[in-house]
Amino acid sequence: MLKITALLTATVLLSSCSTTVEELYQKVAPRPSVVAQDDAQEHIVTQDTSSFQSTEYAGNYKRSNTQVTAAQLASAELKNTGTQFVLYFDYDGSEISESATQEIIKHANFMRDNPALNLRLEGHADERGTREYNLALGENRALAVKEVLGLYDLSSRVEVISFGEENPLMQAHDENAWKQNRRVEFVYQ
Amino acid sequence: MIKLIAACFAFYISSAFAVLEVTVLKTDEDAFPIVISPFSVTGDAKQGEAIAHIMRDNFNRSGEFNASSAKQIIGNKINFKQWQAKKIEAIVVGKLDQVSQKIFNVEIELIDTYSKKTLYAKKFAVHNSGIRRIAHYLSDQIYFALLGVKGSFDTRLAYVTVANKGQGKREYRLEISDSDAQNPQTIFRAASPILSPAWSPDQNKIAYVSFKNGRSEVFIQYPFMRRKTQKLPYFDGIASAPAWHPNGESIVLTLSKEGNKDIYAYHLSNKKLTRLTQDVGIDTEASFSPDGERIAFTSNRSGQVQVYIKHLASGKIKRATFDGSYNAKAVFSPDGKSLALVHRLDRDYRIAMLDIATQDLTIMTSNKLDESPFFSPNGSMIIYATNKGDTGVLSVVSILGQQTFELASKAGEVREPNWSHYSK
Repeated sequence: MLKITALLTATVLLSSCSTTVEELYQKVAPRPSVVAQDDAQEHIVTQDTSSFQSTEYAGNYKRSNTQVTAAQLASAELKNTGTQFVLYFDYDGSEISESATQEIIKHANFMRDNPALNLRLEGHADERGTREYNLALGENRALAVKEVLGLYDLSSRVEVISFGEENPLMQAHDENAWKQNRRVEFVYQ
Repeated sequence: MIKLIAACFAFYISSAFAVLEVTVLKTDEDAFPIVISPFSVTGDAKQGEAIAHIMRDNFNRSGEFNASSAKQIIGNKINFKQWQAKKIEAIVVGKLDQVSQKIFNVEIELIDTYSKKTLYAKKFAVHNSGIRRIAHYLSDQIYFALLGVKGSFDTRLAYVTVANKGQGKREYRLEISDSDAQNPQTIFRAASPILSPAWSPDQNKIAYVSFKNGRSEVFIQYPFMRRKTQKLPYFDGIASAPAWHPNGESIVLTLSKEGNKDIYAYHLSNKKLTRLTQDVGIDTEASFSPDGERIAFTSNRSGQVQVYIKHLASGKIKRATFDGSYNAKAVFSPDGKSLALVHRLDRDYRIAMLDIATQDLTIMTSNKLDESPFFSPNGSMIIYATNKGDTGVLSVVSILGQQTFELASKAGEVREPNWSHYSK
């Protein structure tokens, strides 16, 4: 629990230096001004995560009507273009590293800011090892990401699918290709 | 006439897509030398050579025989001295009489060139359309007469082909063929992956995994019946890795209910689902022992990927593999004493055979990425998928370690082989 609280702190501090999520925000709406508000940070640090409700978070900033419309339009665009973000994993691993956790938390914040969006996590593996084991491994990777999002009460908006080694990003049979194929893709819908 | 040629050509194009090329890789110098002579024929002469040809190919593919042709030999006029001098140990002679447009009488005899005795003889009538099947059946009989073990010729293969359709699109086909890769038929095609085809013990059904609904689900298809494909129950997450109970009444599969990947048995008629493993790690790739008393499965419960065997009556689970850091996708040999599995050796993935009692592991292949091993029904060969150059092919190795033959698709990749039981 202590760890989670620490992570939450890290999130709020880090959320302004995100690159990929930054782009997401730009697609969905003008950047919300108060994501890393000071008292919000304090609030999160002192709170038990179980009572960390998304409604409280949503209350931290207001959107004007025009922004909402822009957000709706852009989220429709997100659904159409299927904008993807990718998290990479170690060989036969589904552990989420410290830095990966921080990336995921940025997505958690993004999802809270955009309650109309759902997230599909597509788990993948490299070609080494057996296909059926890799199917299971790909699901474990996606579930590990979902677990972090679950801490933010987002589980019900997250769908997990594994493709195992069946849909590689890179077709080559070398270390570089394998590294890029061991991944979870974030697909907003 | 021109029209006919055009029609033939069109047919060739459409079927060429599905045809696998068979390459015999190596014939052992010590292979059993036999002669299968062209059958003497009254009527349509093509069929006589067809039978002998199919049989010769069968024996040569097995890696255990060196089957050659000869000028037509008449059964009661064999020059035994001549064949002994050529070190030919047995001769197959045959006769084919066309009794009507579609019906033939077949006579076959297997003769030992040293003892001059008849080891096998048979006489029966066959329909034109059954010539190929008869050639496989007779191959099994002659194989048995010579080695005392049944052949694996009158059986079928199932496999998945993948063809690139451009723009990142792929076409997956689930195909079945005779054991010599002839007579191929596509029974299911999709733009999404197909995995783990498995013939039912009665050879009337095929279970497989398809992503056609966007995620992995297990289906049972009836390739020879007008019956709808059946979807097995699916919960949240993955449903995959189907394998048949030897009695054909139930299927084991991997389900990830609540995210936890465990092995379940699904009874096809009473629809009861029984959980067979319960572990926080990954449990998958179950396969039944031939007596149905045990399952082998892959698990990472130890922190490494290893193969375990569960005795179903006692519920006891024992780790089966201890060599190396990765052993997976085990299947039982037909005698139940060994497992064929995928074994990681340094950085390569090879097919290995494990003696269950002694825990001796023998590596059978020498490539980089071998997977999906499956025994021929007589246990003498293992078929598996491997990469050749940049494309996937099927390869067959005899359990004596000799590479025997290879199956490649002209249209792209071929993978996920499964070998049927004997035809009824």
